Amino acid sequence: MRTTRVIGIVLGSVLLQVALSRYAVGGRFSFDLVLVGVVFASLQTGAVAGMIAGTVGGLTLDILSGTVVGFGGLLKTVVGCASGALGTQFVVAKAHARALIVAGATLAHGLMGAGLQAVIDQTWPRMAWTAMLEQIVINTVVGWAAFLATESLPGALARSRSRSRSTWSRRQW
Amino acid sequence: MLSGRRTVTLLVVLCLGHVLLISAQVPVKSGSSALHGAAFGTLARFQRTLAAVTDGIGGLWSHYFGLRNAARENDQLRQQVLDLEGQLAAERARGAQVTSLEEALALQKSVVPPTVAARVIAGNPVTGVMTVSLDRGTADGVLPNMGVINGRGVIGRVIANPSGTACAVQLLIDRTAAAGATLEGSGTHGLVAGGFTDGNLRMTLVSSAVTIAPGERVMTSGQDGIYPSGFLIGRVVQVNGAGKNREIVVEPAVDFGRLDVVLVVLASPKVAEIKAGKRP
Repeated sequence: MRTTRVIGIVLGSVLLQVALSRYAVGGRFSFDLVLVGVVFASLQTGAVAGMIAGTVGGLTLDILSGTVVGFGGLLKTVVGCASGALGTQFVVAKAHARALIVAGATLAHGLMGAGLQAVIDQTWPRMAWTAMLEQIVINTVVGWAAFLATESLPGALARSRSRSRSTWSRRQW
Repeated sequence: MLSGRRTVTLLVVLCLGHVLLISAQVPVKSGSSALHGAAFGTLARFQRTLAAVTDGIGGLWSHYFGLRNAARENDQLRQQVLDLEGQLAAERARGAQVTSLEEALALQKSVVPPTVAARVIAGNPVTGVMTVSLDRGTADGVLPNMGVINGRGVIGRVIANPSGTACAVQLLIDRTAAAGATLEGSGTHGLVAGGFTDGNLRMTLVSSAVTIAPGERVMTSGQDGIYPSGFLIGRVVQVNGAGKNREIVVEPAVDFGRLDVVLVVLASPKVAEIKAGKRP
């Protein structure tokens, strides 16, 4: 059940990333919703779920994008595991605190990506700091909205359900 | 879910698996695998549907709700058409003169390659990889390494294995993209490459004896066997340093953030011929 939920979250974020990729043509906007999905899954479920989410999300994205398969998978697996461990260790529960982990994860993902690229190319790649900053901001906002929605949606649903029930009962009796 | 030791073991196993996967691909980075090809074909179908849906929604707004400025725009466009018709007539006259000169001097006739219009249906889902997907494929005569342009200038080239109805295009600003170029003023050849964080291109392999002024236009030279000669790449905006360390910054003519409809140049790529030594 938990694994299905984790894979569902990741595949949903992959679908969203692919759908919105049209708006990122030529580096117009920079975002990584799959990374947000991986961190989301790891903070909700734990380090192992983060690892699985990272592997599935990263590999799927690698295959779809035509880049070296395993590159994104490796980065997202490590980031998913680390954010899950961090979330469990410090019991990060509030939406804004979790969003900060998304920001840190995005920065770590970018730096590790540059490092791995340097190992493959044998030269240090040029860092697009503005794009990275933009990605951190967008990912953090999306992550914050997702965490806030999971925090407040069940309560809001329950409230609306109880309200409609009472109206119904008044009409009946 | 699992104990600490098992978690670490799983992490190590997964990381090792990824490293092995990467190292298996890196030495043979030529072309794309069947896995990539199949994934691209499936993805392109989804992206094409998605683009049609978003365009439909956008079209609903612009066609039915955004008609306020249509009459004024119509007048402006009529005026523009008149201007362009005048320019076209002048260009035709110039073209006729060139043809007659070529005939008189017995030169090889300049040929305008055929093109096919294509729509950009998606970007690359991985940030930093500058490729786009077009809704034209092998069924429309699109082959790998064909050049892609628009009204402003050069966009990039078709990469990998195009599917029947879609193809991927590497933009000129990508980290691994380059094109043979000529400085219009001096006629000096060089190489324009992308992958810079400021979004501009850099021109290299230019003789240090040539004087280059900002504003000079950079055109395709046709020597790379992909882009036909004479298409605009951009303009020189800055020349830093001197001699061998001179850095020529070229601002692309195309706004890569606003690509919609493009043209695929259906001229057969000459790269294979060059590699085979059939061309100088």
